[in-house]
Amino acid sequence: MDSKGTFKEKLQSTQFLVTGEIPSPKGADASSALKNMRQIQGFADAVNVTDNQCATLHMSSLAFSRLVIDSGYPDPVMQMTCRDRNRLGLQADLLGAAALGIPNILVMSGDHPKCGDHPTAKAVYDLDSVQLLKTIEQMKKGYSLSGNSLSKAPDFCVGVVSNADPGERLQMLKLEKKLSFGVDFIQTQAVFDVEKFKEFLELADTDVSVLAGIIPLRSTRMVRHMNANIPGISIPKELCERIYNAEDPVSEGVAIAAELIEQLKPVCRGVHIMPVGAHTNTEKILKKAHILD
Amino acid sequence: MIITKPKPFEEILPYLEGKKNIFIVGCNVCAAKMKTGGEPEVLSMVDRLTAQGYPVIGWVMPTAACSIRSFDHLVEKNEKIREADAILVMGCGSGTSVIAAVSDVFVTGTNETVSLGGCLGANPSKNLCIMCGACNIGDFTGICPNARCPKFQMNGPCGGSKNHKCEVSKENDCVWYLIEQKMDSLHMIPLLKNVQMPKDHAV
Repeated sequence: MDSKGTFKEKLQSTQFLVTGEIPSPKGADASSALKNMRQIQGFADAVNVTDNQCATLHMSSLAFSRLVIDSGYPDPVMQMTCRDRNRLGLQADLLGAAALGIPNILVMSGDHPKCGDHPTAKAVYDLDSVQLLKTIEQMKKGYSLSGNSLSKAPDFCVGVVSNADPGERLQMLKLEKKLSFGVDFIQTQAVFDVEKFKEFLELADTDVSVLAGIIPLRSTRMVRHMNANIPGISIPKELCERIYNAEDPVSEGVAIAAELIEQLKPVCRGVHIMPVGAHTNTEKILKKAHILD
Repeated sequence: MIITKPKPFEEILPYLEGKKNIFIVGCNVCAAKMKTGGEPEVLSMVDRLTAQGYPVIGWVMPTAACSIRSFDHLVEKNEKIREADAILVMGCGSGTSVIAAVSDVFVTGTNETVSLGGCLGANPSKNLCIMCGACNIGDFTGICPNARCPKFQMNGPCGGSKNHKCEVSKENDCVWYLIEQKMDSLHMIPLLKNVQMPKDHAV
């Protein structure tokens, strides 16, 4: 973890990787978002900058990724959703990202505007995530989607997201399509059931590095909300009970996250930590999981 | 069938302020089916406007507001339209546009045009087609994800559906669930492995 090399190089190594999600700021002042980033900067193999997460207005992931680099962290992963830009806008931002030295891109559909703070916004989705991946592959070969030559081809390390539910046949089929476009890593929705995750890996049957999503649980309310409303998440009863009965649910959530990481270490290439709120407990979780000394 | 819904009555009134001869054009096809522009709705509109002091001089029910031979054809049905200084169309946006194209006076509509849908029995269904001009509905056994997925996902479901329900409206089944069910029953799931390329929006 945090050994030398770029994130792309680390993906090709055998080390267990840790990445962390950093929401872009909700205004033009990036200081608190960068402060959050610094909590994991010392040990994260990549920080993952969200793109108007939850369809809610934030600073652009492109701009904040560059601010992350300017703040001394060289290897941000810029999330790019298909929600807000058409094929021209997406490609323009990809060229801009390449020119600004942003090395990694994570492609996703993005939550629908109706789920966010601008519910009357027009949803673009000119390309879906599979089509955007095809576009990126073509750009890396030196051509735009329309076939025109680029003055310089971008050289991104490209990731995709996936739910980790082997029972979702069409999700698995879509992942297979995504992987046909030269993908470097897969980042999954939060994993709470390691056995089910192993089934997912078996079914995915890929050499592409898989980073398992980790969301530290914090409260009974959060557990119930996630189980009822968050797609791709199913928290086993036993873990729910531990949070319901805990005197300190946050500490119990830290313990559960650490246990999950320990169980995941032998089966996948790394974890992607997505706390609700700041990375206050991330270092503690990794120490408990014996990932950090 | 064009799916319409009536605008709030109060939103129509400002367009009619100061007009002296208001004429109403209904639509006997889609809007009649949707009960947004058939004869009963036209008569109701006449009554409501009259009650509020807006001078309605007449009305007409063409077969379809969106398919008019000429202004004279409307005159044949009700010559009062010649005196109109405002025409209120109780059809879809297309019907309103066609009436505006054959008329020299102010024209507006009373409905919101919601989508291109259908009617099975008495129940209208919204968003069955978005008229993309590049139809490949056969790839999905007649269930169009471009029209029925709010994210226009052509290569499989987004990660947002839960228990087969759509992320945007939990009352609606995820269209990809419907596609999966039907294609499974026809042993056609392997066809969904084909990558769907970006739509040509120039058509």
